[in-house]
Amino acid sequence: MRQKNRSRYLGDLLIYLAIIGAALWGLRIATTAQAYNWQWYNVPQYLYKIHEGVVYPGPLLRGLITTMQISAGAMVIAAVLGLLVAVLGMSGSRVGRILARGYIEVVRNIPILVLLFLFYFVVAPIFGLGRFASGMLTLALYEAAFAAEIYRAGIEGVPRGQREAAAAVGLTRAQQMRYVVLPQSIPLILPPMTNLAINLIKHSAIVSVIAIFDLANEGRNVISETFMVFEVWFTVALVYLVITTALSFLATGLERRFARSRASARAR
Amino acid sequence: MSAGRPGQRARWRPGAVDWLLLVGLAVFAGYVYYQLRHVLVYRWDWQSVLQFFAYRDEAGEWQQNLLLAGLEATLRIAIFSAILSLVLGLVLALMRVSSRLWPRMVARTYVELVRNTPPLVFLFIFYFFISAQLFPVLGIDRVIAALAESDSALVLWLLGDPRLVENLVVGILCLSCFEAAYVSEVLRAGIESVGKDQREGALAVGLTGTQTMWHVVLPQAVRIVIPALVGQLITLVKDTSIMSIISIQELAFSAQEVAVSTDRVFEVWILVALIYFVICYALSALSRRLELRRAVGR
Repeated sequence: MRQKNRSRYLGDLLIYLAIIGAALWGLRIATTAQAYNWQWYNVPQYLYKIHEGVVYPGPLLRGLITTMQISAGAMVIAAVLGLLVAVLGMSGSRVGRILARGYIEVVRNIPILVLLFLFYFVVAPIFGLGRFASGMLTLALYEAAFAAEIYRAGIEGVPRGQREAAAAVGLTRAQQMRYVVLPQSIPLILPPMTNLAINLIKHSAIVSVIAIFDLANEGRNVISETFMVFEVWFTVALVYLVITTALSFLATGLERRFARSRASARAR
Repeated sequence: MSAGRPGQRARWRPGAVDWLLLVGLAVFAGYVYYQLRHVLVYRWDWQSVLQFFAYRDEAGEWQQNLLLAGLEATLRIAIFSAILSLVLGLVLALMRVSSRLWPRMVARTYVELVRNTPPLVFLFIFYFFISAQLFPVLGIDRVIAALAESDSALVLWLLGDPRLVENLVVGILCLSCFEAAYVSEVLRAGIESVGKDQREGALAVGLTGTQTMWHVVLPQAVRIVIPALVGQLITLVKDTSIMSIISIQELAFSAQEVAVSTDRVFEVWILVALIYFVICYALSALSRRLELRRAVGR
C-alpha cells in the first residue's frame, strides 16, 4: 500500500515537472517565433558590478534598496497611524469614530494608483511634499486603513473579562489599554501585520509611476535600454518573490509560535 | 467620556477628545484653504473638466468625451474580467482540491507566483507576453482585427470602440489571469468549508465524484463565499486602474491624458477618485447587505 502511494506521488511529481517544462518550452517556442533574443548572460551586470575586487550594486539592486527604504518608512507610519485610527474608531468620541470610519471607507474604496496621483498632484503641492515623501505617505495611508482593521480585530479578540478585571483593580481606560489589552492582542496582531508588510512591498512597485527609482522602475529603465523584457522582468519578479516569500515564512512561523505558547498557557 | 449609557443616546455632548479633533480638523481645513487661495493661488475650473465627460457638438448633439469613454472601458474590463476570472478561478480551485497531487501542485505554483509578485510586475510580463508573443503566434490578432472591422451591432455593443478592441481584449486577459489566482483562493476556502458529511452523503446515495462536486459541494460553497466574491470584485474594479500603466485606455489612463492636456490636475484627480469611490462604495454596501442577509437567514 505504502509502496503504491509512493510511486503514485513520484508519478504526479513527474507530471508536474513535465507541465512546468512544457510551459517554459512553449514560452521559448512562442518567443523565438517572434525573433525574441534571449540574453540571460547580460542580466548579472545590471544586478551588481565587480570593479577591482569591490562589489558595486547595479541599477536593479539600487532600485531594491529604494524599494526597501520606501516600504520600511511606509510600514512604520502605517503601524502608528493604523493604531491611532483603530483606537479612535473604538473610542467614546463620536467625532473620532466618524473620522476613523470615514478614513477607512475612503481609502478602501479608491484604487491605490488614483490615491497616489491624488497625493502627488493634489496633496503634495498643498503641503509642499517631495516625490519620495508623497510616494511613502500614499503607501502608508493606504496600508494604515488595513492595519487599523487588524488592530481592531486584535483588540476585540482579547476577552472582555480581562478589561473588566483591569477596571476592577482601578486602572484607568488608557492604562487598561496600555498594560492589559494591547500586550495580549500582540499574538493576534503580529502575524496579519507581517502579511500587511508583504502587501506593502508588493504595492510599493506602484510608486514607479511618479518617477521614483524603485526596483520596478529600474527594471523598466534597463528594459528600455536593452530590450531584455522577459529576462529583466523575471529577475525583478524573482527578487520580489524572494522577499515576500521570506516574510510569509516569518508570518507562518510567528503564527505557529504564538499558537504553541497559547496552547501551553492553557495547559498550565 | 461622552459615550452615553444604553437608552440615553438622544443628546450628544461632545467630550474633550471631540473638541480636540474638531479643532484639529478646522486648523487642517484652514491651512489647506490658505495654501490654495494665497500660496498656490489655484483657480478652480470645473467646467473645462466636465466637458471631457460629454460635450455638445455644432449640431447640438451630446458627444461622449475621453473621461466617459474611459469609464465605459473600465466597466467593460471589470465586467468581462469578473466573468473570465471566475471561470479561471473555478478551474484553479478545482485543481487545488483534486485528489491527485499534480493538479494541486500546478495550481499552487500559479497562485503563489501571482500572489507574491507585485501586480505591476505581473501585468508587465503578461502584457508583453500576450500582446507581443502569444497573439501573433496563435493568430489571435487576426481574429481581433476581423472583429474590429465587422460592424455588427453586437460586437459594437460588447466591445465598444473598434479601434480599441485589441487594447481592451489584452487588458481583460491580463487582469483575468491576475485576479483568477485570488478568486481561486476564495472558492477553495468555500469548497473546503462544506462539511465532509455532505460529500459522503452524496457519494452514499450513488453520485459520482464529479456529480458530488457539481450538484452538492459547489452550490453550497458558492453560497458561502458570495460576500467574499463581491469583496474580490471591488478589488478587481480598483485593479483596473493599474492597467493604465500598460496603456490600456480606461478611466485612469484617460484621466492622465486630460490632466496633462488641460493642466486642470486638481479637478481631474478629485473627480476621478470620486467616480471610483462611488462604484466601489456601492459594491461594498451590496457586500455588507448580502452578509447581513446571510446572517439573518441562519
